[in-house]
Amino acid sequence: MVNFAYRRPKSLAEALDFLSSCGNKTKVLAGGTDLTVDLRQGSAQPEYVLDTSRLDELKGIELSNGQLCIGAGVTLTEIYESALLERYTPALQKCAATFASKQIRNVATIGGNVAHCSPCADTLPPLLIHEAKAILASNKGLRETPIEDVASGPYESSLRPDEIILRFILKPSKDINFADFQKIGRRKALATARITMAFMARQDADRKISFLRFALGACTPTPQRIALVEDYLACRVPTVQTLWEAGGLLAESVLEITGRRPSASYKEPAVRGLSVRMLYPLVHVGA
Amino acid sequence: MGCETVRICCTINSRQKTIDIPANLTALQLLRDVLKLKGTKEGCGIGECGACTIQVDGKAVNACLMLAAQLDGRNIITIEGLGESGKLHPLQESFGKNHAVQCGFCTPGLVMSAKALLDENPSPNRAQISKAIAGNLCRCTGYQQIFSSIEDAIQGGSEEGHDG
Repeated sequence: MVNFAYRRPKSLAEALDFLSSCGNKTKVLAGGTDLTVDLRQGSAQPEYVLDTSRLDELKGIELSNGQLCIGAGVTLTEIYESALLERYTPALQKCAATFASKQIRNVATIGGNVAHCSPCADTLPPLLIHEAKAILASNKGLRETPIEDVASGPYESSLRPDEIILRFILKPSKDINFADFQKIGRRKALATARITMAFMARQDADRKISFLRFALGACTPTPQRIALVEDYLACRVPTVQTLWEAGGLLAESVLEITGRRPSASYKEPAVRGLSVRMLYPLVHVGA
Repeated sequence: MGCETVRICCTINSRQKTIDIPANLTALQLLRDVLKLKGTKEGCGIGECGACTIQVDGKAVNACLMLAAQLDGRNIITIEGLGESGKLHPLQESFGKNHAVQCGFCTPGLVMSAKALLDENPSPNRAQISKAIAGNLCRCTGYQQIFSSIEDAIQGGSEEGHDG
């Protein structure tokens, strides 16, 4: 383990003060489940570790003025157990249910998962379909950034050294009747995801899809919404065939983003198949 | 460069401790190397096998993924804290009785995960047990005996009043 000094600020103000002077030699610890591995492997070599895990300012889940607010320090277990999120962000709740293992969910935070900028961060696709924004705090004040801009590349954050994520603002789902999160890993628990995806949709009484959000993670450098799929399915009455066609467009988008790499022969059918499996209830339910 | 020292106060297996530790010590190193509580095992060291599972404020966590400094002010229970003097915890009894221990390396972690589950939910169903121990690898038993042990401990618990 590399050498570093440990600091645990008593308040957000104290944390931001510290970061304003020492941010460029500091790693922020939210839960620590990713950071301790980086410290052990030496891929992170900070002078300071700033433990923000006990800051009340980063806690709490609330709905106010029609917006959902999730503190960056909220753990995956807290997300899973939140009645508010079960109701308004069902795909995020499903994601929390299958995130890593119980031991990790008890400690790992949503802010840490986003800030680590792993391409396979499970929480990203669900956050993307809710058009989440990250509220960043520094000594200079607050600023807001779309969730897709937090990572500028794999494991590369766009946050300034003096900034931390304070909370996330999500659009709560409204009148949707379908939502899901799916992933493929080498085993159910703990495996780093190969493919993740999330969606939510509203299907009207005439079975037409009047609203759809779809996002993909893990198999592109940064997770993203896939407009091609959203546009293709919008205003249609879905059939099994349209789902396979949408899945084909999805696989094409992935190859377009990543280039045709050796893994394409696996990814293409896997991405397509997983999307059809996830979206299948749109065809099946009530049909 | 020597590593900075941090003072932590915590309760480990019902004993209050104040310890000066290097800032870069993990909770697992604190338990095993400083306090010589060797029941908590190091398997992978990166949070994938669950052999180092302990309870911190009642919740199951991987000791290898925590800094010892994060334990300040917390209540920690390790496998050594289970059972009373000379008497095993019902889960430990049950693991032995149901042949859930082969090489034994995963056992402390699995017992701790099971204990954390039962503390939260005294009568979990099989799916809930499965979810609670999904973060613990066992390469010997194939898990069936582990499930039986936990289920047996649940039933044993409810009958405790009758057969002592």
